[in-house]
Parts: sequence; C-alpha cells; structure tokens
Amino acid sequence: MYYPVRYGPFWGKLYMNLGLTHAYSSVWYATLILLVVVSLIICSLHRLVPLHRMLTRPQVWKLPQFIQRQDVTYQVDGNLDEMAKKLKRRGYKVQRDRECLYGDRGRLSRYGPYIIHIGLLIVAFAGVAKAVPAWNQTNDVWIPDGQTVKVPGTNFAITNHKFTMELYSTGMPLRFATDAAIVENGQEVLRQVIEVNKPLAHGGWDIYQASWREEPGVAQVRVTNEAGQMVTNLAIDLRQPEQEYRITDHISMVILAYYHDFILDPETKQPSNASFEIKNPVIMADFVDQQGNSVGRAALMVLGKDTSYFSGAYALAVTKIDQRWFTALKLHKDRTVPFMYFGLGVVMLGMMITFFLFHWQVWVREERGQLLVGARAYKNKFGLKQDLKRLLGIDVGEGTAAL
Amino acid sequence: MTIAMLITASAWLLGLAFAGYLAATLLYGAGVIGGRISQGARFAKAGSWATNFHLLAVLFHFGAILARWQGAGHWPTSNMYEFIGFMAFTSQLAFQVIIRMYRLNVLGALVGPVGVFLMGYSYVFPPKIQPLVPALRSYWLPLHVSMAALGEGFFAVAFGAGLLYLLRVRGLELAAEAAGHGSVAVAAGGVSIPAADTRQTRWERTWGQRGLEVLFYGICVMVAFTLLALLFRYSGYQWLFERSTYHLPPIIGPQGEAIGSKGDLLGFIPMPLVAAPSWMRGKHMNTVLYSLAFGWLLYQVVRRWLAKGQPIGDWLARKATGDPELLDEISYRAVAIGYPVFTLGGLVFAMLWAKEAWGDYWFWDPKETWALIAWLVYSAYLHVRITHGWEGRRSAWLAVLGFGVILFTLIGVNLLIVGVHSYAGGDM
Repeated sequence: MYYPVRYGPFWGKLYMNLGLTHAYSSVWYATLILLVVVSLIICSLHRLVPLHRMLTRPQVWKLPQFIQRQDVTYQVDGNLDEMAKKLKRRGYKVQRDRECLYGDRGRLSRYGPYIIHIGLLIVAFAGVAKAVPAWNQTNDVWIPDGQTVKVPGTNFAITNHKFTMELYSTGMPLRFATDAAIVENGQEVLRQVIEVNKPLAHGGWDIYQASWREEPGVAQVRVTNEAGQMVTNLAIDLRQPEQEYRITDHISMVILAYYHDFILDPETKQPSNASFEIKNPVIMADFVDQQGNSVGRAALMVLGKDTSYFSGAYALAVTKIDQRWFTALKLHKDRTVPFMYFGLGVVMLGMMITFFLFHWQVWVREERGQLLVGARAYKNKFGLKQDLKRLLGIDVGEGTAAL
Repeated sequence: MTIAMLITASAWLLGLAFAGYLAATLLYGAGVIGGRISQGARFAKAGSWATNFHLLAVLFHFGAILARWQGAGHWPTSNMYEFIGFMAFTSQLAFQVIIRMYRLNVLGALVGPVGVFLMGYSYVFPPKIQPLVPALRSYWLPLHVSMAALGEGFFAVAFGAGLLYLLRVRGLELAAEAAGHGSVAVAAGGVSIPAADTRQTRWERTWGQRGLEVLFYGICVMVAFTLLALLFRYSGYQWLFERSTYHLPPIIGPQGEAIGSKGDLLGFIPMPLVAAPSWMRGKHMNTVLYSLAFGWLLYQVVRRWLAKGQPIGDWLARKATGDPELLDEISYRAVAIGYPVFTLGGLVFAMLWAKEAWGDYWFWDPKETWALIAWLVYSAYLHVRITHGWEGRRSAWLAVLGFGVILFTLIGVNLLIVGVHSYAGGDM
C-alpha cells in the first residue's frame, strides 16, 4: 500500500490499477508485446511474398524509360553478349530476354530482414514463456559454513564447505566464493567452487553466488560459582540454543527464554525480538538441581549491550563469540534460455546477411548499337557505382577506394 | 616494465593521440576551407595528410589502451573515465574505416571533434585505476563493453555524416535564396541531392534551421559542462554541505539548506540562492544550471564573434562541402555497420553476461532499458528509410537523435539514475 500513501488515495490507486507499479508484468504490457508480434508477422508476410516473387522471377525485359529512371544509369558502347560475360565474371546472376538483360548479385541479402524477424519472434516467445511458472523457477538458500541445506522443490541438497570473501587492501571486495557440493540421497555427487561470474550447473539448475552474511554464531560462556571459581565452560549456539545445559553432576541450566534480538515491546512492555537477525541475544535461564528446585537465575546479555542479571549460586560470563558465515546462493532453472539464445543467434545471423551482403540489380537494354544500363542498389549505392564504373571501363575517379 | 612506467606510457600515448586528433581535425578543416577559397589550387593534399595523421593518432590511442590494460591488470573499460576514452577511440576507429571506404575528407572536420570532445569529457571523471569488483571480473568485460562501444563509434560517425548532411543542404538552401530562384536542386548544380530534399515545405525549412540552432546550443552546453567540470575539479574549490560536496559555487543548495549559508558569490549573490526541491538532488540541479548558463554564453560568443551574428548553423552551412547524396549514404552505411555490432555487443553479449553473473539475462535495469531504446531508435531509422523513403534530412535528424539517445544512455543514466551499472558512475 505504498503508492496510495505516497501519492494520495486517488493517484496512488490509479497508478496501481493501471499497472504502472509493475509495468513489465502487467496486462497492457503483455498486450503491447502481443501487438508487436502480430504486426511483425503480418508486415513480414505482406512484404515477403511479393519480394520473393520479384527475386526469383524478375522481369527481364524493360522499357528504356524504366532503365533511365534507376538510381545509377549509364549509356555506353558495347553489346549484350560481352556485357553478360562481364557481369557473370563479377558474380552477377544473368538472365536474358530478347534485347534486354538482367543481372543481380547478393540476392540473399534481401531475405535477411525476414530472418531477423523470425529470430525476434523466437526471442519474444522465449520472453513470454518465462511467465509459465514451471519453466522459470528460482530459489534462494542461505547456508552456514559447514552445513547442508535441502533445496525446496528439488531432489538435492547443497553443502557449503566454506564461504570465502577476499578484499583488496582498500577494503573493496575482490572475490566471493563458496566451496559448494551437491548432495543427492546423502551422497556428494558434485563439488565445485561457486563464484560471482562462475555459477555451478546441476540438473537444469544454475546456482549463483548471490550474497553473504556474518553473524554471532556460538558464544563461549564461562560459569562461575559464588566464590568466583570457574565451574565449567559452555558453547551456546545463538541461532538455536539447547533447552538444557549440564553445569555439574547435580545442577543443570534450563533455558527459560531466548531472544536473538531482544527488545521490550514499547506498547505491551513484554520482551520480544526486534528483527530476524542476531543483534542483541539474551538468554534467560534457571539453574535447577536434580529434584527440580531452582538454585539460581540468570539473564545474560550475550553481547553486553545491557547489564546482565544473576541471582543465586551461579554467574555467567561470555569469554568469546565465534562468528558464523552464511553464503547466499541463488538457484535458477530457466527452460526458456535455450530458446532465447537460439533466437538471438538467428537474429545475429539475419543481421550479418542483411547488413554485410548487398543486393545489386542491373538492367541492360541494347538500343541501336548502344547499351542502356540502369542499376539499383538496395544498400551501398556508392559500392554499386564503383563496381559498374570498373566493369564498364569508366574512370572511377581519383582518390576513390576499392570496395 | 613496471606498472608505473606502463601507466605513464599510457598517459603519454593518450596525449599524443589527443594532439593527433586535433591536428587531423584542423587539417581536414583547412583542406576544405582552403581548398574552397583557392578553388582547389591549394591544400589539395591536406585531406590525405589529415587521414594519415589521424591513423597515427588512432594507433597511439590503441597503444595507450594496451599499456593501461597491462598496467591496470584488466581491460580498461571498467569505469566512466576509461569507458568514455574507449568510446573516443572506437568513434575514431570507425571513422578510419569509413574514410577509407568513401574518401570524403570534409567528414573528418566533423567526426574528429567528436573524438576530441569525448577525450576531454573523459577527464571529468577521476582517471585513477580502480580494482575490479567481483561482478566485473569476467572475460565478458572486454567483449561486451568493447563491442558495444565499437557499435556506438559507428553511430558517432553516422551522427557526424548526418549533421554534415543537414549543414550541406542548409548551405544549398542559402545559396538558392541568395541566387533568388529558391530551387535547391538548381543550387546543387553538379552535386546530387536525395529527391525528398529537393522539394521541402516551408515548415521543414524553418524548423530544420531552428533545429540546427537547438542542436548547436546542446553541443555548447556539453562543452561548457566539460570545461567547467575540468576547471573546478583541478582548481580544488569545494563547498562542503552536510551530505554533499560541491565543486561549483552553490547557487542551488541541497534540500532544506538555509539561503546564504555559504557566504556570497562576487559579493552580492547569496550562496545558496535557493534550496533544491525534495525530488531532485541539489548538486545535480546546480551543475545543470551552470551548464545551461555557460552553454548559452558559449553559444552567444561563437554566434557573435566567430559567425559574425548569423546563426551558427548557417555560418557552418556556408562552409560545408560534399555531395549530399553521398553524405546521406555514408550516414546510412555507418548505421548499417554499427547496428549489428551494437546489437551483438550492447544487447546479445550483455544478456549472456547478465545470465552468467546475475542469473537472468534481462533485468530492466535503467541502462539496459536505455540501450534498448537506442536500439529501437536505430531500428526505426532503418525501417522508415526503406518503408517510408525517409532519406536525406529526416534520416539525418534520426541519426542525430539516435546518437543523442546513445549519449544519454552512457552519460545521463550514469549520472541521474541508479542501477546495476552504478559502479561505473561518476560524480560531478
């Protein structure tokens, strides 16, 4: 409900209802994509059919007016046979009809745009197919060092043997890496270091290094008696403390309550957690003997953010806190990727054909011992001019380069 | 060689390249103007000398990139300083390709300055070598960025040729007006002009001319911004606020800042004069204000002193040469080469890298979105040329617009919008 609050009830609601808060997954956006696809198909077919006919069955016999109307025209001495031979030598496909001749080269170039459009249709299909949930699944897992976590929705678990973070001397991050292993049915089947830019691939899933976290892991706690003598040392896991710890043969410490981020709720004045993180862990415990009688109480502020409280026979003191490192791995299974890449490949192929081949057409008509030459370039008219000048033996002009 | 030596060598080579581009630009200009004044009797060789100088400069620039690559230990396209410099290189490399195809020397007088400007602009950003963050440590860094920049380099040439076309046609218009018959085709005389532009409506002429002035004002703003940024960065002035540091005297202060809290400018303008509204960063607004104002000043200086009071477009139009039809084709050809290269580098490689680094090939990140918008503009350019016969002036304006979008994608997005490409950002 961010938008109504930020922009007022009318504009905020309108904004949300129009789908502007999630434009790329909204209905009108999908409609736009659909319209683009449909118009792409129709436009392509509309032009492709006549184009194909023109390319495969060109009209060879042309009136002189038609030839003189072309982009590039010349009038030279010569005869058609000779002209046909020259054109063929330069790679033109030549057809004859009575006193006329037609030659063209680079015909394939004209089909290029349609190959690009087919590629774009495949790309659009792959993009839309991502909306199908089964084709596009993601998962995020947080794994502490040395532990194994089952990935929901898969048949495998991932072990984080060790997460490593390297820094430059300036404190900027240099490398994030997880020494990870895939575990299936309790057995490691694959072990690999996952890094940023080096994901692990397994069973259609790509597993990426996404994030990391460090938190207080295990608190080493010293227990002392009334005389101040050490009784024992305890290792208390701050994510999940045990319910009971043995202090001596007769006494145990029972955890009454544990808060990982202790706060007194300002309204109810009851203790609770301020967040999900371990920021201010507090252990409340009762020391009991074998008969179940309480011999003392403790409220330990593990990080010392407030004064701890002890009554009775025992006191607790934190001697050391071992940090625990988590790696965050992002799992992504996207079945549309091969289609997307194939589509992009088709687009690039089409672009090479379209932009690096040129379709040049030449019409020649023999008129009273002279040749009327008219030519048309779909692209690179300059290159066509140079080509024809060289072919017809006309000076190409000083300083103009070969194409 | 030690790393420090390589970095020094790189800086020297860069200086040589800069001087080379400048010399080539002046030679191209001299060749065109001198050739016209002397009616071809002199400066005949200036163009080919310029092209050779220019090639040398491109080689120096490439040497500078290689030296920095070895010195820094990574391909030098990892921050804004390196990237803008690299794009200056690709634009001039693309120019070398095109000039060797078409040998139209006047083009160098327009594309050369693009490289000179970009090199100057790169120094707005801190030129120090920064180590790579994990996300950038990939073989895709050289592939994606270099290839995209190469495509954009060809778009820069298309922009130059397009602008030259617009000037040339304006020049023919002026000649026709001066001759009193009003026909551009007649004024064109020996040169050929696309059919679409031989009969223009009055609307097209008026707005074509005004559009050119707006464009030159925009160029002045960018040049003014660069000069101001360099001047104040290296002069070391700074005004410290609670959450930002200004390098230009604060006229527009940060949001909520008391007026006049930093004394006054020139003794009578309180600093800041106003505080920024909540929706915009005061520092950016301040910089924009200065750029617009000094850009206007620069525009007026050029117009009054160099152009002797005529509009800058008209002034340059009278000097422009070249066959308009050929210019139109060069612009088209540069787009036709740049487009597939940009598609591969800027979109396809970007998608492949995103998939490998972040787990998905598309994020609708602002930079991705703007790269797509630029791609769509050039797609439109190619389509309307064929389906609607938009040749000549309209086509040239699209080439100019497309390059504007490219510049916004590279510069505006980094400065104004935050996204996954934000590591490449600069601060001004």
